[in-house]
Amino acid sequence: MIGATFYIMRCSAKNRVLRRLQRLREPRYLVGAIVGTAYLGFAIFGRMLGRASAARRGRQMPTALLPPAFAALGPAIGGFALMVLAVGTWLLPSATGLLSFSSAEKEILFTAPLTRRQLLLYRLIRSQWSVLFGAVIFAIAYPSATSGARIRGLATVWLALMACNLFMTGVTLTRARATIAGAARRLVLLPQSLTFLAFLVVAAGLLAAVRRAPIETARQAFDMFAAAVGSGAARVALFPFAALVRPLFAESLTAFIPQYAVAVLIYAVLVGWVLQLDAGLDVVSETTGDRIDTPRPFRKPTYRERAPAWTLALQGRPEGAFVWKAAQQTFRRVDRGLIIRLAVLLAWGMFVVTIIGRTRGIAQALAGFAAFAAVFATVMGPQIVRSDLRQDLANLDVLQTWPVRPAAVVRGEILWPAIVVTAVAWFLGVIALSMSASLFSRTGLQLRMAFGIAALILAPALVLSQCTIHNATALLFPGWIPADGQRPRGVDALGQRLILLGATWLVLIISLLPGAIAGGILWLAFRRFIGAWILIPSALVATLFVLVEVLMATEALGPAYESLDISSVERIE
Amino acid sequence: MAISVQALGRTYGSLAAVDALSFDVAPGEIVGLIGPNGAGKTTTLRMLAGILKPTSGRVTVAGFDLAQAPIEAKRRLAFMPDEPHLFEYLTVEEHLRLIARLYTVPDFEARARALIGELQLAGKERSLPGELSRGMRQKVVIACGLVRDASVLLFDEPLTGLDPMGIRLMRETIVRRARAGAAVLLSSHLLHLVEEVCSRVMIMDRGHKVADGSVHELAARADLAAAGSNLEQIFLRVTGHDTSADAPASR
Repeated sequence: MIGATFYIMRCSAKNRVLRRLQRLREPRYLVGAIVGTAYLGFAIFGRMLGRASAARRGRQMPTALLPPAFAALGPAIGGFALMVLAVGTWLLPSATGLLSFSSAEKEILFTAPLTRRQLLLYRLIRSQWSVLFGAVIFAIAYPSATSGARIRGLATVWLALMACNLFMTGVTLTRARATIAGAARRLVLLPQSLTFLAFLVVAAGLLAAVRRAPIETARQAFDMFAAAVGSGAARVALFPFAALVRPLFAESLTAFIPQYAVAVLIYAVLVGWVLQLDAGLDVVSETTGDRIDTPRPFRKPTYRERAPAWTLALQGRPEGAFVWKAAQQTFRRVDRGLIIRLAVLLAWGMFVVTIIGRTRGIAQALAGFAAFAAVFATVMGPQIVRSDLRQDLANLDVLQTWPVRPAAVVRGEILWPAIVVTAVAWFLGVIALSMSASLFSRTGLQLRMAFGIAALILAPALVLSQCTIHNATALLFPGWIPADGQRPRGVDALGQRLILLGATWLVLIISLLPGAIAGGILWLAFRRFIGAWILIPSALVATLFVLVEVLMATEALGPAYESLDISSVERIE
Repeated sequence: MAISVQALGRTYGSLAAVDALSFDVAPGEIVGLIGPNGAGKTTTLRMLAGILKPTSGRVTVAGFDLAQAPIEAKRRLAFMPDEPHLFEYLTVEEHLRLIARLYTVPDFEARARALIGELQLAGKERSLPGELSRGMRQKVVIACGLVRDASVLLFDEPLTGLDPMGIRLMRETIVRRARAGAAVLLSSHLLHLVEEVCSRVMIMDRGHKVADGSVHELAARADLAAAGSNLEQIFLRVTGHDTSADAPASR
């Protein structure tokens, strides 16, 4: 089976490379490939050259991303993060790419005279590629002074990611196996109990440490954490998790080798655990249905049957129907798992803001995080929330049969993502504004309020104009926008995304200019009379300008929608 | 005429998928569109539905030019494609409601109820497409097309995925709608269906119309006389795939 696995991998890789080379005959891929290669080259060699040049000039380059106090605690913090992830995986199992058999794999390999263990081994070997790619990206971005440290980082991250992947697979298979294990159920669920026990031990140690001494600074938090997990039962409980990330912090090859050997040993234990759970594969295969059929990069989102957000009125503007349609899509996509993942992300964001921003107190941390997140939502939200024409290009053959004015379709498609992103930005912005005193204690209330309210007024304009630009790109260059659930890969696709991003920002800046100039004139003219409050009418004028532009743009995009040919929409290789 | 097509053409690069195609469909008429794979049937139907832009020619639907007055033309038209394409996040009932809003359907509730019963979708109103079989999804697409009073119905392989009861039901539905005055253009490889329900048959091959008329009219054509009154034989003869002894060597 191992030979067959490598044969499939070799053929797949060869055909993929050939296919990608062939598509370079199309200018859009060629241009993308040039830009993508330039970017990667710059990312890898530019950084190295920069460090070499700095070294020649005698400048000391930072050797690590994290401050020394934090780096010393790296294995414990990384291990604790892995432990939390492990507990989260048991509580809320999510699909893993390792069990994603394609239709062809399922139809050919599942019916072949192969054991389930061989199939697991096959997927295990195949999944190494994608994980390795992720680790390579990390190694490129890893802020290390030496190429040796970079390679050590690559090896460690690869192993850690594979271990996470294996663990998730083990959890999925364990749960499946538990349904058929009968009397052995307790034995099957033993790893779950062990994980929870380890977490409880560490959590109890942390709680005891928190009670012993108050924490006021980040430094104190570090010290408390180090004391809590660095000795006794907590250290033992955390050991397998910390051991997986410890080689990442090794300062030399001599220190790295024994640490890596321990990590490999833990990985081997995980492999053994997963392989002996092979009986669960059939259950997973049956219960996951289509999900297991589709490889992860091409997987379409799954929706849950849920009461509608509101009932669509039978009369009204067509834009309303599009908003309603997209709202159903959002609400039926969001489930408990997504909310928990979002909560974890928010908690992590707050933690990072607290550490990097050296904040004092919860109010300051919350205000800092809310302000950062509000800006992030406004700037990046329209790129992330794609429930508009970017996704609906896949439904073009339905949309184009509807008797709706093209401009109304474009407007309707844009509205919902703009509403969602604006609502999130406003929510976070209001939190930041209400706690702004803790963040900008030296700034007067009037300026803080005027600036904050002006920012809130400007947010929908920024969001709407970005949404319009993204949808305009989808209409004018549909070949560059992947259809729903698809994510083309390769250097050329990376280059395409970079070009689109650059073009989007350029167009955004140009589109904001008239509003900014008008608002600026107003500010200059009345600043002396009403002080900082002039920011608010200035923002209103700027927003009004952008709204008019958006309206005009959607009208202008109508003919592009009308003449859009479904055959020009990107299809995955 | 409910549908009037004049010199319709569509090219993909150097390939002419449909070339100088002209025909009319009158209200109450059911026209079968048949042809081998790649003949241009689906391209024709998709151009009539407004999904594909013709490279040449003109289409009018119920008197409205599809290029000049697309909204009015589309309002009178229902297209039921072979591949059931539904929004994965909308239930069956919500699909119908969305269509009702977009097409301004009066008396929607009663119509939807009747249609759900007629197409045996009762009990599935709150199901998402992902929970439905292919045949059921096909029925939902058909329900979306029929929930409004379209004067022109375009069917692309309407029986694909349906069970025997569904096929019978679909056949009856098509005939009933035509009797009520709708113009029906139906593309199918099931020649017995075409022969049974269509008042006229149009045969396409390599983007061209190669025959047009009732089965009897086609059978009476001098060059097709040897094929008899069997649509399959006529089809094979017209498209040059007839291998029987008396078939001409080439078209």
